[in-house]
Amino acid sequence: MSHAPYALYVASVLGALALLLMMPRNGYSPRKLGALLGTASLGGLWLWLKRDLDLLPPTSPVGLMSYYYIFSALAIGSAVRVITHPKPVYSALWFVMVVLATSGLFIILNAEFMAFAMIIIYGGAILVTYVFVIMLAAQSGDAANDTTPAEYDAVPREPVAATAVGFLLLAVLLTVFFDAGYGNLRQAPRHLGQRPTINAETLLTNRPITLLAAERGEAPKFHDVSNTERVGIDLFSNHPLGLELAGVILVVSLVGALVIARKQVEGDAAR
Amino acid sequence: MDQPLDNLPLAHFLLTGAVIFVLGVIGFLTRRNLIIIFLCTEMMFQGVAISLVAFSRFHMNMTGQTFVIFVLTIAAAEAALALGLVVLLFRRKRTLDAQAWAELSG
Repeated sequence: MSHAPYALYVASVLGALALLLMMPRNGYSPRKLGALLGTASLGGLWLWLKRDLDLLPPTSPVGLMSYYYIFSALAIGSAVRVITHPKPVYSALWFVMVVLATSGLFIILNAEFMAFAMIIIYGGAILVTYVFVIMLAAQSGDAANDTTPAEYDAVPREPVAATAVGFLLLAVLLTVFFDAGYGNLRQAPRHLGQRPTINAETLLTNRPITLLAAERGEAPKFHDVSNTERVGIDLFSNHPLGLELAGVILVVSLVGALVIARKQVEGDAAR
Repeated sequence: MDQPLDNLPLAHFLLTGAVIFVLGVIGFLTRRNLIIIFLCTEMMFQGVAISLVAFSRFHMNMTGQTFVIFVLTIAAAEAALALGLVVLLFRRKRTLDAQAWAELSG
């Protein structure tokens, strides 16, 4: 852990600069320079961390880490485009890309059901609603000049302060994650294949993972049951109240959306 | 899926989740289009979902993935209500600029 925080801080600062360069603004916008700097900082951080990742034994499930790099780079790059693209429709389409890359990460993590639920619900339902509303607003708005984006899309609000705050949060989060991530490397470098004992959760609660598992009174048995079945069993046996509440929330939001949408507006009647 | 995730790969997945969450925060603060502001909250949900699933894999415990279902529920409800509100606000002032409602900040 002696070297890692500085790499994290440097990468955070460079990432913040890269994002600032990529923000849309009036006049000259060095977007390509920002993209290059952002790619360099993220790739440099990953290369820096990869030396320690290679120390892990080949039996641990990091064989899929190459796919992790692909999907993470896709997700992060698309996320940057979502918040920097001056046209709302393109932002929404880049968000679809974020959803797809996230689903890829879920599949690496053996969460197949959540991956496909994510694509169906986010890409299929929520994003269609967003694009629908964007089209609705663009059609009745200033359709005359749809080649140039509106002023409120082209000029960000307080970009420097927001980026500084965001990447400060990111630096703190990464310090905690990788302090915990290097925990067993620092303590027992010869027993990397053992079950991990320190992570962010145990660091915060100061309880080892075996104790947490014993408190839940369970021995994980994951063979012969598919991911969908496991999620369903956990959902219906451990969280029945949450399931009912989720249904109530959906019904209430449906009624609320109807009430809001039916409201008559005086500006509308004038048109 | 016979072995839990190690600490360092877990930290990598948490890194991706944190970066996407932070990008969502920055987008929420800097964008002035009401629709994109709510799109950025959805992106923050994505970052949280990655962290939840990574912890689920790390602990070999399905509750993390179950929570992602709840996150999806909240995201759907939020999208419906927020877009309804955005349409209502757009019908009043014919613009999606959040600055048009700056008098609400007092």
